[in-house]
Amino acid sequence: MAAEGGGKEMNEIKTQFTTREGLYKLLSHSEYSRPNRVPFNSQGSNPVKVSFVNVNDQSGNGDRICFNVGRELYFYIYKGVRKAADLSKPIDKRIYKGTQPTCHDFNHLTATAESVSLLVGFSAGQVQLIDPIKKETSKLFNEERLIDKSRVTCVKWVPGSESLFLVAHSSGNMYLYNVEHTCGTTAPHYQLLKQGESFAVHTCKSKSTRNPLLKWTVGEGALNEFAFSPDGKFLACVSQDGFLRVFNFDSVELHGTMKSYFGGLLCVCWSPDGKYIVTGGEDDLVTVWSFVDCRVIARGQGHKSWVSVVAFDPNTTSVEETDPMEFSGSDEDFQELISFGRDRANSTQSRLSKRNSTDSRPVSVTYRFGSVGQDTQLCLWDLTEDILFPHQPLSRTRTHTNVMNATSPPAGSGPANPGSNGNSITTPGNTIPPPLPRSNSLPHSAVSNTGSKSSVDSAIASGVSKFATLSIHDRKERHHDKDHKRNHSMGHISSKSSDKLNLVTKNKTDPAKTLGTALCPRMEDVPLLEPLICKKIAHERLTVLIFLEDCIVTACQEGFICTWARPGKVGLLSSQNQANSPSGTVV
Amino acid sequence: MEILMTVSRIASICTMGANASALEKEIGPEQFPVNEHYFGLVNFGNTCYCNSVLQALYFCRPFREKVLAYKSQPRKKENLLTCLADLFHSIATQKKKVGVIPPKKFITRLRKENELFDNYMQQDAHEFLNYLLNTIADILQEERKQEKQNGRIPNGNIDNENNNSAPDPTWVHEIFQGTLTNETRCLTCETISSKDEDFLDLSVDVEQNTSITHCLRGFSNTETLCSEYKYYCEECRSKQEAHKRMKVKKLPMILALHLKRFKYMDQLHRYTKLSYRVVFPLELRLFNTSGDATNPERMYDLVAVVVHCGSGPNRGHYIAIVKSHDFWLLFDDDIVEKIDAQAIEEFYGLTSDISKNSESGYILFYQSRD
Repeated sequence: MAAEGGGKEMNEIKTQFTTREGLYKLLSHSEYSRPNRVPFNSQGSNPVKVSFVNVNDQSGNGDRICFNVGRELYFYIYKGVRKAADLSKPIDKRIYKGTQPTCHDFNHLTATAESVSLLVGFSAGQVQLIDPIKKETSKLFNEERLIDKSRVTCVKWVPGSESLFLVAHSSGNMYLYNVEHTCGTTAPHYQLLKQGESFAVHTCKSKSTRNPLLKWTVGEGALNEFAFSPDGKFLACVSQDGFLRVFNFDSVELHGTMKSYFGGLLCVCWSPDGKYIVTGGEDDLVTVWSFVDCRVIARGQGHKSWVSVVAFDPNTTSVEETDPMEFSGSDEDFQELISFGRDRANSTQSRLSKRNSTDSRPVSVTYRFGSVGQDTQLCLWDLTEDILFPHQPLSRTRTHTNVMNATSPPAGSGPANPGSNGNSITTPGNTIPPPLPRSNSLPHSAVSNTGSKSSVDSAIASGVSKFATLSIHDRKERHHDKDHKRNHSMGHISSKSSDKLNLVTKNKTDPAKTLGTALCPRMEDVPLLEPLICKKIAHERLTVLIFLEDCIVTACQEGFICTWARPGKVGLLSSQNQANSPSGTVV
Repeated sequence: MEILMTVSRIASICTMGANASALEKEIGPEQFPVNEHYFGLVNFGNTCYCNSVLQALYFCRPFREKVLAYKSQPRKKENLLTCLADLFHSIATQKKKVGVIPPKKFITRLRKENELFDNYMQQDAHEFLNYLLNTIADILQEERKQEKQNGRIPNGNIDNENNNSAPDPTWVHEIFQGTLTNETRCLTCETISSKDEDFLDLSVDVEQNTSITHCLRGFSNTETLCSEYKYYCEECRSKQEAHKRMKVKKLPMILALHLKRFKYMDQLHRYTKLSYRVVFPLELRLFNTSGDATNPERMYDLVAVVVHCGSGPNRGHYIAIVKSHDFWLLFDDDIVEKIDAQAIEEFYGLTSDISKNSESGYILFYQSRD
């Protein structure tokens, strides 16, 4: 168990993995890092983040990459799977003093070969607008830290806008800025615009228009990440208080909430069609939430530590079995997918809903998403139709299998996936002795692919029966939803305050009020997913996961950005790699 | 060493005034909790293992209240519990809100009672915690026995059918005791036999870049009993291969988790420290509960952490971080500081395997929300 000496081999870092689509391969020559390629001593520093932009130049080399490592920020031409990375010539490099870059985002609408608009958030709360091609610093926001002194946790351009952007802080606040406005020389005065359960939105009271345009206060504790829906209308926020909150961004209304099983939620993403949201957090789980039904539809267990990034893979998300490559059919780039996501997502959405409404049996749908975590592992997950559209459950009561599912450790992806079986690599750091998964096959087969239906069915069966018995409660919950969940919030607050003032004996009512409700179903009440693959791919905590058209990009806290060629996309470069590179290890 | 220590103590007492008032100022008169006292404990020569555990226990509110209640009972002959009660009482009744207290009587008593602690060596904080809780439980049980013999059973609460079996649980058990169920499945006849055992804390193995949740799962991983460790199956009436696993059946009010960071290295003939990064959330539920657990979904809040600083069990230093009302405090012997909740991440451990020297969480105290 302890990785001393002999344990090292077991913790070997993977440079390739296989799924049913084929072999994904790490391209060691396409690794981006600081020019000296020295691992960054990452103790206590901000996560390494990566942003991409396509500058639409005619050469076909339009991809640009930006990443932060420690107090440095780099901007390179990204050659992806096509050519080896040339780290000697960053287009732009910046070193900051007193404050560190924490996150960044390109404006995909305004990007050209001559100019890009890059927003950079900082650990002391400031936001910079820079142009790494022109090497200009256009503007500074919150420079005097009058708006917020806490760390910027997430910065993003408002979809479809060339001037509006949103900045989240560890204070739990989020601010809407306009690049055209100044931040003023005094602290802003706010006026309440809208208030709901555990959130409030204020406008900035001032004679002349100034930044911030809006101040959002969301939940308790740090606001760890937010993500706009593909159509740009909704905003999903995850906070340290363990809540996912989804807002209608324009009307400033709460659409729905979800609570983690425990601990803070750290990351959030939308499915390409905007129908599902996936979160990851301190419960080591990924949680799939239906945007339409406002409920948890599945949880995924596979990480050995906190989940730091979740992302859908639009290229492997298929809407119909007959047309499995819904997105990869076009030559459009990842960036375009994001910036014009609205139309594409809508088309997918309408197709899905059309099929759903006309057919009694749902269409064949599979969503692929991935997650990376502090356990240095990459997990890929499939969200299949038996999870998405559970049909009439078999008349089965909850079985012990299910309980075992929920509590037994992940048995590695080996038996579950014939592809990775062929890979002959055991799951790294697997603490179970080798003979175990096989001999323990009774409970485990239920979660592997062959038995997945029954497992899911039984899980759903128990879920449905649970919901049936709790239906009144459930309805009440929904009613609260509309009422901004007044009662609920009170319950939450009172349980908390009584907890801190007095203890145990005093508070006899169920404190974890959310458990067993739509906000946070019990473990056995929703299907538990097992990862398709689960691989240790770095020495350090993973902080980035981005699905591009022909590759997957990951990065770790040491500042190494890795490109994993998709099946069939391993070109000339990788054959060179095999010849030249002895090990192909990451570091 | 004694001299050095004395010098440092004088130095710290000199700075203590400024330090203490700074803490009071930082918290602010409005925010300072009513009836709460933050007092550092003087180090009497490598007694930080003791100080850190005492501070952590002081901020486990159910424990503190029972100890203070014990203090208000009629005077008894001095023992470790009366010394602890005096110390807690002394902190709780200070006029000042912040300051420093020498836990002299308690340390003296501890050294008198257990030769293990009767020296100036650095001791293992977990060993001390274990010793302290068990000693208190023994004292309480002994007192109850005395009372029974004297015919003074309080409140006429006589439901002692199981008198001859296990002794009645004391408040130490009510607070810290949970139950593990040890399920063994014979691989030949598939019969599952289970045996329950109680615990006051759980010691979990640690792995690099994992969470406490994962370590707890590892604790409950299935073990295969084979070759010389075969299991005697009552059904088969012979030794058989079997699967064994431990799951939590009864979740305690306060869950104390000990991270096994000290590992004996055969080659080196000494213990080394595993400084692995093991993250622990402020909110916790258990996944490794048994199917028949009474309260498997208990939600826990982190209330205190004993942190080991340094590279080995017999060197280095212990500090405690505790949650009091809405903020976090760091107790480093006589020094008390307010810290940001985000600063807790500095005590998760190191991701690099090279360095053994770390300030990393060693004992976690999670308190149930119900």
